[in-house]
Amino acid sequence: MSDSSGDGRDAPDDGSESWQTRADRALARLVDASAAERILISFAALALSVVVGAFIILVSGWVATCQSPFFALGGVGSFCYDPVSVYRVMLVGAAWPPYNFAITLKETTLLLFTGLSVAVAFRAGMFNIGTQGQLVLGALGTAMSVLWVAPFVPVGVLGGLVLIAVGLLVGALVGGLWGAIPGALKAYADANEVITTIMLNFVASGVAFTLVSEVFKDPQSQTVQTRSIPGFAQLQAVFFDSTVFSMLALVGALALVAGIYWMLNGTSFGYDLRTSGVQPEAAEYGGVDSKRMMVSSMGVSGALAGLGGAVYVLMVASRWQTGIPSLGFDGITVSILAGNNPLGVVPAALLFGALKTGSLAIEFQLAVPKQLVGVLRGLIILFIAMPEFFRMVGARFRFGDERPTVATDGAGETTVGVDETATGAGETTDGTTAGDEGGDER
Amino acid sequence: MSYAEPSRKQRWLAGAAVLIVVALLAVELFFPESPVSEIVRIVDANYIRSVLRLTVPIAFAALGGIFAEKSGVINIGLEGLLIISAFTSVAVAGTISGGNPTQLQLWIGFVAAVLASVLFALLFAVVCIEFKADQIIAGLAVWLIALGLAPFASKVIWGQVNSPPVATLNNFDLLVAEANPPVVMMLVSVPAAWYVLNRTAFGRWIEASGENPKALDTVGVDVRKVRYSGVLLSGFFSGLGGAGLALGRVGQFIGGGTTMVNGRGWIGITAYLFGNYNPLGAFGASFLFASLDALQIRLQQLGYSVPSELIGVIPYVTVIVVLAFVGRTRIPDAAGDHYESGEE
Repeated sequence: MSDSSGDGRDAPDDGSESWQTRADRALARLVDASAAERILISFAALALSVVVGAFIILVSGWVATCQSPFFALGGVGSFCYDPVSVYRVMLVGAAWPPYNFAITLKETTLLLFTGLSVAVAFRAGMFNIGTQGQLVLGALGTAMSVLWVAPFVPVGVLGGLVLIAVGLLVGALVGGLWGAIPGALKAYADANEVITTIMLNFVASGVAFTLVSEVFKDPQSQTVQTRSIPGFAQLQAVFFDSTVFSMLALVGALALVAGIYWMLNGTSFGYDLRTSGVQPEAAEYGGVDSKRMMVSSMGVSGALAGLGGAVYVLMVASRWQTGIPSLGFDGITVSILAGNNPLGVVPAALLFGALKTGSLAIEFQLAVPKQLVGVLRGLIILFIAMPEFFRMVGARFRFGDERPTVATDGAGETTVGVDETATGAGETTDGTTAGDEGGDER
Repeated sequence: MSYAEPSRKQRWLAGAAVLIVVALLAVELFFPESPVSEIVRIVDANYIRSVLRLTVPIAFAALGGIFAEKSGVINIGLEGLLIISAFTSVAVAGTISGGNPTQLQLWIGFVAAVLASVLFALLFAVVCIEFKADQIIAGLAVWLIALGLAPFASKVIWGQVNSPPVATLNNFDLLVAEANPPVVMMLVSVPAAWYVLNRTAFGRWIEASGENPKALDTVGVDVRKVRYSGVLLSGFFSGLGGAGLALGRVGQFIGGGTTMVNGRGWIGITAYLFGNYNPLGAFGASFLFASLDALQIRLQQLGYSVPSELIGVIPYVTVIVVLAFVGRTRIPDAAGDHYESGEE
């Protein structure tokens, strides 16, 4: 959007311009003001999930039978798993030995794609729960296109670059097209995208499985999988000596984060996308075709998921195979934890990458089922869904009487300023609440 | 209420026609050599019985969803509730019996499963009503928690994500035929739910709570309590559905992938949207979806070399087609909104 200080061409349409400036400011304020609170809520939700998770670990350790319980109580029974050591092993196992750290970074890289995918859709006011299906089909597109093109390119670095480019492109394209379907269904048939995206997940995995098992199956293999892509088409490890992680992919994913951030905040497309997410009516009034916006934002979202699938094939699996991990569903958690902010997706993806690697460590070292991470994933979403809970707890125990003290730290120059800051902060919080609810309404 | 829109019946018929056409087209597409008559021959008493059993989890999820959403709370966690109750039923029956449950122990497992589902629904209700959570995200959380918790607990109890097989509930004699207990419960619950919603004071409260909570508040009925009952009923019905699936038909808990529930809760949601919040319509839609599922199973039994995964996709595609054609169903006005009573 051209701003008001531009040349005279935009000037005649005064009303629309002032509306745009105002909406821009309101949107910016909403994002900025809610950022601090959202970060607080994310951390609080994480902490609470850890606590509830510890309780679940205790109870399951009480149910499980084992040789040497860590703790036994007469009359109550014995407890097999020690929550503290479970969490310790989880965290340590995510970073050490270096091989585990490479796995963590691998997971992080993949989650960056799916997290971004969900975040972009969310920003446009759409729930994309179909990231998993878009990723599965994107992965298949990548595997097939690389296998098809491979005979025509020279073996070596140059050929590898071509194949990787083709693979990424086709993965993004397939994922994008699959993602655009629920967008179009919502725009033109008013079909709820939550349901259609979930249904399309089932359809995607069924179609991909059938295609591979009937048409593209590796004749050498017992399981349903495609032939392996040539080694020179795989993303090469640069830093860690790992077959499943490439620093190139991580750097590329981080560049993509920056790109998406810029797209959302620096381009007119991103502006339209965010406005139609926060205030669809206002966006329509401002000249945004909301139907096309639904389709294109879901297309972008699906393309990001498809890229995740492409990287999964090019970096991790080197083929399409059944049992692709639930990166799409983890992407939902990553995005919600990140407050749907592309920059927030980075720490959230790292955290979840670490948790997933750590879950392998707890199963290996302590015999605690790795599905624990799935439980934590759900708990985090549940707690983030109820910011009101934290506001209530906060009001009762902490912020109620300590807010002036907190404000003093920020603006300790004049006594009057303290009071003003305190009330100002309170107002901002209220404003955020109203804004958030407006944004979530659909 | 709806002037420009087609009537409920028209919509229903249109949807049914689309469904049948899609099903026949799919069959024609996959087996051009097979006459449709052979497919028609599939439909016999056995087929209907098997469809009814497959309808159980879908229809119960749909009934539960109707009560929750009509009261103003959109519960998309139904899939999670089915998973929780399917798991609990097998876990409790298996644990108290030491692996080989008797009929009584199976029924204890059944009741425990319904309780577990109601407890989960209570958690969801508290989160949504007391803490004003976003209902869609909270419902998603219920599903994801169940999707993680059930395989986790399976591994703790059995060392693997699938349970060892257990017996299923015995059929009992009903008039001339053998009847499957969960099927009978379903056939009783559907008209009962219709009666409660359309002919009782409680049904009117549920309706008002979702349409115009302020009016309900004004006449002195506690909106919170009505909404709690709506959500708890969704837990109750989903509990019947999940336990009915595990103990009435499968006789095992399968926790791999999307678990044995495999999207039936989501199909249940579509079923009640399709049935326009009417229990009878929702049952009809559930029956249609289940009949597609049964068709797939039967075709495989008949030895058609058709990739089962592809046929397995048909119900989900149908749901999408139906959603696209039926489009918007009018959701209750206040569904998804939080209600704040004026005076405390």
